[in-house]
Amino acid sequence: MLSRVADSLYWMARYIERAEHTARLIAVKLESMVEQTPEDAAASWARVIEALTGEKTAPSHLDAFAITKRLAFERDNDSSLITSLALARDNARQVREALSNEVWENLNRLYLRLTPVTMDSIWVHTPARLFREALEEMHALEGVTYSTLSHGEGWYFLELGRHIERVQQLGRLLDLHFTAAQSENGPKYFDWLVLLKFCSAWEPYTKEYTASIRPQKIAEFLLFDSEFPHSICFSVDRMSEALARVAPGAPPARRAAVERLAGRLKSAVDFGQVDELMSGGVAGFIADITKQCEQIHKALYASYITYGAETVL
Amino acid sequence: MQHEAFANTEDFGGPDIVAAPGRASRPGQDEPYAQYALGKPYDEMFTPGGQARAPYAAIDARLATLPLEELNRRQQACEQSFLHQGITFTVYSDNRATERIIPTDLIPRVITAPEWSRLEAGLTQRIHALNLFLRDIYNDGRVLKDGVIPRSMIYGSKHYRREMRGLPVPHGAYVNICGSDLIRNERGEFVVLEDNLRVPSGVSYMLANRDVVRRAFPAVFRSMGVRPIEHYPLELLATLRSLVPFHEDVSIAILTPGVFNSAYFEHAFLARQMGVELVEGRDLLINDNVVYTRTTSGLKRIDVIYRRVDDDFIDPLVFREDSALGVPGLFNAYRAGNVIIANALGTGVADDKAVYAYVPRLIRYYLAEEPILDNVETFLCREEKSLQHVLANLDKLVVKAVGESGGYGMLVGPHASQKEREDFAEKIKADPENYIAQPTIQLSTAPTFVGNGIEARHVDLRPFILHGAETKLVPGALTRVALKRGSLVVNSSQGGGSKDTWVLSQ
Repeated sequence: MLSRVADSLYWMARYIERAEHTARLIAVKLESMVEQTPEDAAASWARVIEALTGEKTAPSHLDAFAITKRLAFERDNDSSLITSLALARDNARQVREALSNEVWENLNRLYLRLTPVTMDSIWVHTPARLFREALEEMHALEGVTYSTLSHGEGWYFLELGRHIERVQQLGRLLDLHFTAAQSENGPKYFDWLVLLKFCSAWEPYTKEYTASIRPQKIAEFLLFDSEFPHSICFSVDRMSEALARVAPGAPPARRAAVERLAGRLKSAVDFGQVDELMSGGVAGFIADITKQCEQIHKALYASYITYGAETVL
Repeated sequence: MQHEAFANTEDFGGPDIVAAPGRASRPGQDEPYAQYALGKPYDEMFTPGGQARAPYAAIDARLATLPLEELNRRQQACEQSFLHQGITFTVYSDNRATERIIPTDLIPRVITAPEWSRLEAGLTQRIHALNLFLRDIYNDGRVLKDGVIPRSMIYGSKHYRREMRGLPVPHGAYVNICGSDLIRNERGEFVVLEDNLRVPSGVSYMLANRDVVRRAFPAVFRSMGVRPIEHYPLELLATLRSLVPFHEDVSIAILTPGVFNSAYFEHAFLARQMGVELVEGRDLLINDNVVYTRTTSGLKRIDVIYRRVDDDFIDPLVFREDSALGVPGLFNAYRAGNVIIANALGTGVADDKAVYAYVPRLIRYYLAEEPILDNVETFLCREEKSLQHVLANLDKLVVKAVGESGGYGMLVGPHASQKEREDFAEKIKADPENYIAQPTIQLSTAPTFVGNGIEARHVDLRPFILHGAETKLVPGALTRVALKRGSLVVNSSQGGGSKDTWVLSQ
């Protein structure tokens, strides 16, 4: 596979994952705010903004309309839903020949349908509905990708992009919630419930731990559950699998550089213990995982994508 | 309830029917043809007396029964389909990029079997002669020694590539992919307007148009015996493969300028349809005169490059040094015989305005045959007799400077003032070799849906010719249409659209 194509597939998947995460956070937040006091809703909005943009906002001047507009539709916001979709589409367009028609058309249609949508048009009825529909479309896109694209190298680059991005996004959400839990005005019962919904984890969690909401169990589930698709552990497993499948013909030395990092990350997650983390160690653990993902990203590029031609001739 | 943003807009409507011929609609009188103007140009569908020509009978009958709203709906479904497939080009204005589609008119243009076999024979003859000509001028120059064409015209051409002299080209096939522009004159005969021998585009529109028009008129399509064109990518692949004989596992790539090129969709489309790699200059590197792509697993050798990048930009070491699209060292690899580039470099010398006028003579010279397809009548001012004719008839002719393009250095006689004509005459007399003249060209007209009716619009025809070990034409073409009433400009950048072209099997 061309290195440039691998690069575009990887970023296409990262941006789609980011768009999906953004749409889900907005949808869940819009749905849940009606059940919260204005103060709790504001604190929760502030966490959403920080999770999606990294910006800290004073919870006192929060206006749901303006925030939704900024997070969903503003193109000068680098991490808005529409920006992520536009970037995913730009990358997809550059590798049209490496994608199936169905994948391209699903992504393109979603983008074209969201482009003309205005805040006023969605705000009059049920604002969350548009984001739910966008999520459905993105799930359909995922299914179409799974069933129309060969599960070869390109597919595994998509998997890598998707899961590296997912670990980063999940990590930020968990970090924000568990760091806030250390303070006095930390997340309440309802906020933990919303956190699970942010990760589409509410029902899977209750199946595993019943409906009793306990932060330690939530951390255990979202960090270490190997079967739930939005857990750190699940994504790390998919990354390891994918790394074993990409660049099959690359020289062993270059492969080893990437696989060593992947193995280290996997063992960190496999042997992590939630009870060791609960006394404030969640943030440190997540910081470590995130850093390892960044190293894997760099090694992946150095070994397979941006390597100097002189090293192989 | 669905959110309106998610409503399905790509519905082409229910089954189509073949209507029985019954009520006859006269152009210029009855709906939907009330505004249909029949004039001096040949009309593809109607005889001068207003009768639908026989090959159009089924289309005429269908249009007579299809409500205009329905046609409108299908037209919009077609546009949606193009938009979703990403068959767009990007227009940049006010720092904003807008994606536009090239409009497809749903009413097909019909070419009969005898017309096609004449076109096929004529274009095959033409591409043979042009390839022999290119081989000749890059080798012995026999045609120059024999005085058939002036030496200065070739060696002075900015498209002549000295670097190509003496280089062997497989099968002597310099032009492997050609997209000639033809028009139908007032007598209904096809004549060649231009040979595009460099990097012709449009073939993806030929295929995309077929896809949507067949869906819009399925029954009419089936009833008329339209010849298929879907095998074009296969034929293109076979043509490219034939350039590397005795080689089992040929690795082929399409070289694109990248995603910002207006024909990018076509490059990606052909790569996908042929199952070959789509590469940009930055994906390729040359080592020891061998071309490689940079892949995740290491470097992979490339044998054939179907390039969609102009000569000037293909190798900054040999041609334009400011080119970021090309690959440094590519030409040396080519010269070493380690890679085939299609089309070969330097083919542009054979499709400029002055050489065009000589093509009929080149056909006689190389093939000892009479040209099957005529040129548009062209007067070369370098020839005394023509010069006198041009000067005497400036009010009826279009005069063009041979080295210029895009409408520069041109006189449109009928629209110019007496003073302008006199001034231009002086220029011609001062440098007659630099000018050619043609009568004002009348393109034929074809029925085109314009929203509230069907009107006559001017069209041309671009068939695609493949030439490797053998010559092949897929029976179809891109029909370009000038969507503005009376306009003769079919270019997509200036309000042109396109039509599906139905070549009948009998």
